Amino acid sequence: MSDERKVLLELKKLKKYFPVRRGVSVKALEDVSFSIYEGEKFGVVGESGCGKSTLGRVILQLYPQTSGACIYHGRTLDEMCPKYLAKEIAKLPEYQKKAGEFYQKSLEVDKKAEVLKKEIDALSALGTAKEVKKEAALQKKLSTLEFKSKELKKDASRQLREGSRTVGSLILCKDLPAVQALFDKAQKETAAASDSIKKFRDLEKQYEEGRVAGKADAALKEKMEAARKEAQGHVEAAKGFRVKAWQDYHGKDILPITERTLDPAYQAKLDGNYETGINLGKLTKEEMRDMRREMQMIFQDPAASLDPRQSIGKSIEEVYVINTDYPADVRKEKTMELLEKVGLKREHYYSYPHALSGGQKQRVGIARAIALDTRFVVLDESVSALDVSVQAQILQLLGALSEEKHLTYFFITHDLGVVKHFCDRIVVMYLGNVCELAESKELFHNPLHPYTDSLLSAVPRLKIGQEHSTESVLEGDVPSAMNPPKGCPFHTRCSKCMEICTKEKPPIVEKEPGHFVACHLYDKK
Amino acid sequence: MGKVLEVKDLVTTFRIGKKEYEVLRGISFDINENETVCMVGESGCGKSVTTLSIMDLLPNNGRVVSGSIKLGGQELTTLSSRERNELRGKKMGMIFQEPMTALNPLLTIGRQLTEGLRLHKGLSKEEAWKVAVTYLEKVGIANPEARMKQYPFQLSGGLRQRIMIAMVMAVEPSLLIADEPTTALDVTIQKQVLVLLNKLKKDVSTGVLFITHDLGVVAEIADRVIILYSGRKVEEGSIEAIFSKPLHPYTVGLMKAVPNVDEDDFDIQPIPGTFPNITEDIGGCRFHPRCPYATERCRTEVPAELEIEPGHTVCCHKVEEEHRK
Repeated sequence: MSDERKVLLELKKLKKYFPVRRGVSVKALEDVSFSIYEGEKFGVVGESGCGKSTLGRVILQLYPQTSGACIYHGRTLDEMCPKYLAKEIAKLPEYQKKAGEFYQKSLEVDKKAEVLKKEIDALSALGTAKEVKKEAALQKKLSTLEFKSKELKKDASRQLREGSRTVGSLILCKDLPAVQALFDKAQKETAAASDSIKKFRDLEKQYEEGRVAGKADAALKEKMEAARKEAQGHVEAAKGFRVKAWQDYHGKDILPITERTLDPAYQAKLDGNYETGINLGKLTKEEMRDMRREMQMIFQDPAASLDPRQSIGKSIEEVYVINTDYPADVRKEKTMELLEKVGLKREHYYSYPHALSGGQKQRVGIARAIALDTRFVVLDESVSALDVSVQAQILQLLGALSEEKHLTYFFITHDLGVVKHFCDRIVVMYLGNVCELAESKELFHNPLHPYTDSLLSAVPRLKIGQEHSTESVLEGDVPSAMNPPKGCPFHTRCSKCMEICTKEKPPIVEKEPGHFVACHLYDKK
Repeated sequence: MGKVLEVKDLVTTFRIGKKEYEVLRGISFDINENETVCMVGESGCGKSVTTLSIMDLLPNNGRVVSGSIKLGGQELTTLSSRERNELRGKKMGMIFQEPMTALNPLLTIGRQLTEGLRLHKGLSKEEAWKVAVTYLEKVGIANPEARMKQYPFQLSGGLRQRIMIAMVMAVEPSLLIADEPTTALDVTIQKQVLVLLNKLKKDVSTGVLFITHDLGVVAEIADRVIILYSGRKVEEGSIEAIFSKPLHPYTVGLMKAVPNVDEDDFDIQPIPGTFPNITEDIGGCRFHPRCPYATERCRTEVPAELEIEPGHTVCCHKVEEEHRK
């Protein structure tokens, strides 16, 4: 499909486990990876407990992720210059060193295992009762050693993966300090750019205030231009340093840290880890707070998300009190404009939540979410609690707002009728795993995954007269996420379950352009 | 086919503060044996109040003012609350929306299932246990003996709802009232429960009053449909009539507001305005403030029930005028 569309949010192998007690955790999300494009209405469907809501909250960093990354492309690194960047660059040699250490250790363990193996071979040649017993004990020891070596190798590649997030495959370079120095310079330029951009914003605000008051200040305008140029210069410089690092060191002088590092495919994989956006999971609390100006959430129960003792106006205005320094009258005017925008009346500024109907309360929730310069909104079952006629009104409003303000929606729902007509692309989830991802029409016309198929056939249709099929009724319940089935998570209820499904987890493959599915029925070429 | 339930001109009011407000403004309908009647409407339209009026479970500030409710020919409104208490569970059973709150978390499933059987059917403990087990099998629960000894928290939502159904149906009531029994369930589980309800209805030959706001569920389960709006019936008809030829503007609006999964280019069209509160005083047809066809007559005169075809009735001035031509 059109790759020119700008990716706004990128999820990479996102995992979320909720610990229950020692050794036991609810595996709410397992390796969720996909991209959301800018301006898109992205739908997530699945039964309760499939991890839809958890996913929405992890994206907004309301829950910290267990592993994996959410990369946000809505702001560039230059604009933001998050603090983690400098730290990560400083840590690069450490990653490389540790990876080497882990790998060397694993080799030592391998040697030990080799010795053991020989011993076992010698013993089994003898084959008396005593020897057999001894052999079993050694065999056990051997398997623990093998496990240990495997874990150490995993640790090694984990270190390299972490490093590659900041510099790609350059983490393997022999001359890492030089790479580090170049990236450090780039980072300093980025920080300077970020400062200049902030300065520019401040000047712009002063200028706008002056202009509204009727006094356009030419000197300010000049200062603005200077600040803008300065920022641009820093951005260019940063880019220059990065490009230089890439040109000078990419694919050259690679350290054989592990046996895989010389493999170009592995290097390409590390390059793929290189993050050009902002890794939300690594932001500090304050930075994330600042980020939430453009990443918002609308909840399911509009009544519960409003304070019953606070008037509607005050509830919305609070957004401005916290995030901006508008004077009181501007705040009030802005709030009233917002109320009109979401289809309420100006008078509602003074009403309290109990006086509003469910649909009106949801409109207040929407107003709050779009009050600032929002770009990305998570809608967690936002229309599910509403009656159909009101639900349709809210959907219409959301559709109009997304066009006007160019919003991107992450629309979580269990109502397949609503997603089909509201969303551009849909992902189907089951037990924390992505089953299928496709454009909405394609998904409904050509469901590939057996779970999608049975989910679609379970939807009550607005058609009568047809004998409702009972054969595709899904038997049983969703298994517990504390102890998910091995292999494909859906195999316990799947009518097309094969032998391989109980053992191996199916990879996500692109069956048709833009249509991804994770099922063993389709992974054969 | 005998009539299981006849409701005529039922008026129920709620006292709020010092005033009494009409929640049901004269509702009439029948349910035959072996028939599923779906009552559809938005929240606040009086669906649940209708069921509570029939069951005599209204909260303290609500009361049935006039009208009659007949269960198998027997008038209920004149009975004492003690007599009605005996009918509840025995002759008419009810399934609620939230199966967790309807089951007692402190008692085993077996204890709760056998209670009704022992009370209403006079069975001994052992007999009741046996009957309960067979009913658990009937509702498709594997390993029923083990389930009987479990507590509600050990079961999933779908299983709990099955147990509620088994509990009500085991007594073999002549009327089953199901108040949004599948709303809290996932679609796949909802489908299982609907298939089950259809099967059991035939086995026990009960009349079912099914309350829902989901038109898709209606298409799946109903024989007849009643559309309620703000305490009044606006349209009633066989499922074929309602889905192929909806007449009342509200019914038409509802159909257009529900996103249809089967259609590709479906334009979701909301009904403008908001649902009226019961305390609001609206003269004439209660729907007129939101109706695109409202005339002066709609504002002043309450539309009477008009039979367009046998079994298909509607309350609307516009339809009436067109029909007369």
